Amino acid sequence: MPTTENNLLLQAKELRTWFEIKKWGFIHVGHVRAVDGVNFTLERGESVSLVGESGCGKSSLAKTIMGIHQPTEGELIFEGNSVDSTDEQSMRQYKSEIGFVQQDPYGALPPFMSIQRILEEPMIVNGIKDKDKRLKRIHQVMEELKMTPVEDFLKKYPHMLSGGQQQRVVIARSLVLNPKLIMADEPVSMLDASVRVEILELIKKIQSERELAVIYITHDLSTVRYFSERIWVMYGGKIVEQSPVRNLLKEPAHPYTRALLEAISEPDADNVHNYKKVPSGEPPSLLNPPGGCRFHPRCEYMIEGLCDQEIPPDFQLANDRLTACWLFRDEEEAGDVAL
Amino acid sequence: MAKETKLAANNVEKNMNLDEKTANVLDVQDMYLYFQTGKGIVQAVDNVSFALERGKSMVIVGESGCGKTSLGRAILRLLPENVYKYEGSCLLNGSDIMQYDDERFRKEIRWKRAALVPQSSMNSLNPVLKVSDQVAEPILIHDLADNKEQAREKAAEAFKKVGVPVDFLNRYPFELSGGMRQRVAIATSLVTDPDFIILDEPTSALDMLTQANIMNVLTKLKEEIDISFVLITHDVSTSSEIADMAAIMYAGQIVEFTDAYTFFGTPLHPYSERLMASVPTLEADDEELGFIPGQPPSLINPPEGCRFAERCEEEFELCSEEPPGFEMEDDRIVKCWLYREGGERDANYGK
Repeated sequence: MPTTENNLLLQAKELRTWFEIKKWGFIHVGHVRAVDGVNFTLERGESVSLVGESGCGKSSLAKTIMGIHQPTEGELIFEGNSVDSTDEQSMRQYKSEIGFVQQDPYGALPPFMSIQRILEEPMIVNGIKDKDKRLKRIHQVMEELKMTPVEDFLKKYPHMLSGGQQQRVVIARSLVLNPKLIMADEPVSMLDASVRVEILELIKKIQSERELAVIYITHDLSTVRYFSERIWVMYGGKIVEQSPVRNLLKEPAHPYTRALLEAISEPDADNVHNYKKVPSGEPPSLLNPPGGCRFHPRCEYMIEGLCDQEIPPDFQLANDRLTACWLFRDEEEAGDVAL
Repeated sequence: MAKETKLAANNVEKNMNLDEKTANVLDVQDMYLYFQTGKGIVQAVDNVSFALERGKSMVIVGESGCGKTSLGRAILRLLPENVYKYEGSCLLNGSDIMQYDDERFRKEIRWKRAALVPQSSMNSLNPVLKVSDQVAEPILIHDLADNKEQAREKAAEAFKKVGVPVDFLNRYPFELSGGMRQRVAIATSLVTDPDFIILDEPTSALDMLTQANIMNVLTKLKEEIDISFVLITHDVSTSSEIADMAAIMYAGQIVEFTDAYTFFGTPLHPYSERLMASVPTLEADDEELGFIPGQPPSLINPPEGCRFAERCEEEFELCSEEPPGFEMEDDRIVKCWLYREGGERDANYGK
């Protein structure tokens, strides 16, 4: 693999994943445009949060990145090489570079396998034949995740562990192949509030120790700040804003991001007397998305004749930010657009 | 209607009490609910007392498995088969509804006086019935309308209250989005005009924007009609949207009962303190979130003494005995030995 000059790990160019909908199994109805023209860059060791409502295509994007779905159009570039989804050999190599932490730990762990077997599986599939080597790696990962004494855990079955421990096993499984990227799909949403932070801290610790890139998928904006440096906001199959987390929380640019931030409750007793400002309507159907900007039917700053006609490109703002909104066509900073 | 008059005649004395406007709409005293399981007796609700003032709403906050849903079910007497112990008193408008037999409870209390929006209620709608029939069902069962037409009108009224377009009445549940279905579930509980509604995790399965929408609906209802909400949730942040009072539950017991300003500002019980510290916020500049090490205790054979003691940083010798609920100023109740003097917490107690 050629060494890249820069730190780029993964890049997506105009990535599209469409799913065909058929009536009675053969009549073409249309496409669900789950991922529709996504561009991003991800650096080595970087932690990014992907935020969006359910049905906005964030899981489809994650699965496309992991090679589970084949992109309909566009290109993924991993360490300088284009990912060729037709070449089985290189795909296997590519997939082993990405670890996946599932949302529901109990559902993700086969109930009939011991923890040892679960953790060995990815290595067996990827051709590590030496059993001692496999065990050594398992021990190393388990110790990293503070699941000690390791021997006690290895003989157990998933149902014998608590939710937090199960999630640790899922994380351990994603790490045994020493991946360069971890995809964490709502890793803590099924866990208890008090365990949640512990698991997030753990992923954060591993990320900095191993210099892993992490894509953290969530719909909960309030945990993002503790976890990652950058954030991608997704709406209707597109990434509408990319920004460092702190800038976004202080000065959201895209109207959708503003609405999201507005909707979050802070623990404050004064809330009882206040209403939240929420945009009307529902997220768009991805089968027949609205023309122009996908958010325009719900947007109060809609510019007639522009937002409903043309798809906004990504406008570059200061502080390394991108936003796909026509309001920013002449502006350089998020604060410049007074709303 | 005829049926109702007959019922009323049967129970003249006690029924009159139910309409009385006492200071507390709900007053739960020494409530116990234990379940019998193969592994032992689960103490899901263990000696819980609280009182909710008329016109106020409260939130019951706790981690999963702390018994908060069981408490809600105990109040409405929606119990499974394996109940081992179910006692205490529950005063609704001043009369003890725990004394009612099951049939009378069903006829007079459940849904008429106290309704429930169950957990994941958006999925609890019957997929083969139009939503109008489902919303109108409680009215017909309780004979609150003369005919189906009138029941439908009432259902339409309830729809207006929760912000669902009235022409959605003829739709089936699958034709509605998650947020709309949740609103329909709330409408179903509103339609009989109860005194209070227990909402069990009404927003946990919904998206951020939809969640905010539902909370707006509840805030509006609270302002417009005379109703109390009992919100059961693990989400401290969203609960602040409608809570006047807060009950913090841990391992089957209410460890703190206080008004929302104290809870969201300066929680007293060590568990509430740690819980608040673990709530992620947008504005604060703290880099680290706190968390509570360890696991909540099993409700089968819970530890003697204070149930939070083994995870508590301020544990001291008194904690091996169960603390009573200490009454503080403004009727706050804190179940922690640190407050045994009834006033300020003394940091030196533990040392």
